[in-house]
Amino acid sequence: MKNYPTYRMFGEHTILLDWPSSNELDVHKEVLRFARFISETFGDEIIETVPTYQSLAVYLKPEINTRLFMDTLLGRKISVSEIASEMPQLVTIPVCYEPDYGIDILEVAAAKQRAVSEVIKLHTDPIYKVFFLGFLPGFPYLDGLNSKLSTPRRNSPRPQVEKGSVGIGGSQTGIYTIDSPGGWNIIGRTPLNFFDSTQLPPTQVNAGDYIKFQAITPTEYDLICVEVDAGTFEWRKEAYHD
Amino acid sequence: MIKVIASGWYCSLQDEGRFGYRNCGVPVSGAMDQAAFQLANKLLGNEMGAIALEITAKGPVLEFTEAAVVAISGADFSPKIDGRELGMNVVFAVSEGSTMTFDSPSEGIRAYLAIKGGFVTEPVLGSGSYYRGITAQWQLHKGDTLRFNKNSENEVELNSIEPSLKSVLDNEQIEVFEGPEFGLLSSPFQHKLLNTLCSVNSQSNRMAYLLDHTETLSAKQIVTAPVQPGTVQLTPGGRLIVLMRDAQTTGGYARIFQLTEDAINRMSQKRAGEEIKFKRVDLPFDTHV
Repeated sequence: MKNYPTYRMFGEHTILLDWPSSNELDVHKEVLRFARFISETFGDEIIETVPTYQSLAVYLKPEINTRLFMDTLLGRKISVSEIASEMPQLVTIPVCYEPDYGIDILEVAAAKQRAVSEVIKLHTDPIYKVFFLGFLPGFPYLDGLNSKLSTPRRNSPRPQVEKGSVGIGGSQTGIYTIDSPGGWNIIGRTPLNFFDSTQLPPTQVNAGDYIKFQAITPTEYDLICVEVDAGTFEWRKEAYHD
Repeated sequence: MIKVIASGWYCSLQDEGRFGYRNCGVPVSGAMDQAAFQLANKLLGNEMGAIALEITAKGPVLEFTEAAVVAISGADFSPKIDGRELGMNVVFAVSEGSTMTFDSPSEGIRAYLAIKGGFVTEPVLGSGSYYRGITAQWQLHKGDTLRFNKNSENEVELNSIEPSLKSVLDNEQIEVFEGPEFGLLSSPFQHKLLNTLCSVNSQSNRMAYLLDHTETLSAKQIVTAPVQPGTVQLTPGGRLIVLMRDAQTTGGYARIFQLTEDAINRMSQKRAGEEIKFKRVDLPFDTHV
């Protein structure tokens, strides 16, 4: 019976499930399992669900009785535990780390007293887990940054960080999915559209997936841009057993 | 078609909101004051979620290049057609070639111009609501044109509703449910929060209302978790933030309150400097399991 969440109302039409904080990765798997179970089982009652590290928001249609629905959910505990996790995918993200693209990479390397090539290696080596999307449309909350690359946010945020910029803020790394103000140190840029509102779904990388960064040259960056603009670019995705 | 002669301070097309993509980090958006938005559509016999123009603080100047039937609800911007007063919450016919102007409201800050048949814009992820980064346009500019559906007959059925806005605007009380982190605060602190008079900061916008106060308030950050329109966050530095329709989908500050739907609408009519106080109400069927 471990890892069961508590249920509570969060406003009139929302149920919030919270898991006790124990093993982050195990808890997060449960969050995604519940999200999938609830979405697949109660399509008529819910609008959508939002998973995070150890919580799940279930947004109900306004005509649904929230209390009764919560009782129904509680009665279905067992079936949730029987549902298999979805097979995650590993998505490769090409990134150009040249200083024209990663405008802060020289500064980060200097602060870390490392060669730029070492910074690139430390950033491209790990496989990062996507916990969930939030903050900006399509923005992935990633886990797995090598602590040797932890860098405090910049003292003053930039009014505009270009879409596709890959940054480090504290112990986190991430991708600015749309043009946005931001205070992270920018070490590279991907030519891929992490958020495309003309596509369904608008994101290619989702909660529970994994990503790996791959260093590319400015020439490769330009070539991929052409393919992305022409709509012929194919994302590199493979099944991944976690 | 309607030509935008002057853009006003901040006008945007809005509907009920963009649902189904919050797990991709897409905000809900939609009309800030859903009650006023629905009222304007209802007067016209439009579908509930027909796209309307949200007008904020300072109205636009609009030229109608074709006849239309419209209704305006929300804050009273004293709308005029060719200088003639129109009144609020009334259906009226606008003839081809006329110009619509607005003054500034003395109370409230947002109005909704609904048009019979609804405005037409390219839906993005199922919604016509403007949002920067998702729709190509996020506010009206001088020279823009607005299209609307004309398939419905432009007959005026002199609908009108007595404005009930006065009581809405007069009330400084904002009704809230307990938020997920409210119970973690000590009871003297909870008491203080519910008795703090706050004033609306001028940096407030469609994403969030910031509240100024003189009390010593503080809450620890939380592990990033879901937030929604109407969530009240308290930062370690004591800042009170009321998330509004364009809010992000997740956040890392303590969620101490959740506004009622009605209170979100009421909040969205508050202007900089106005004072508010939170009033706790019980959830219709509250329980912890």
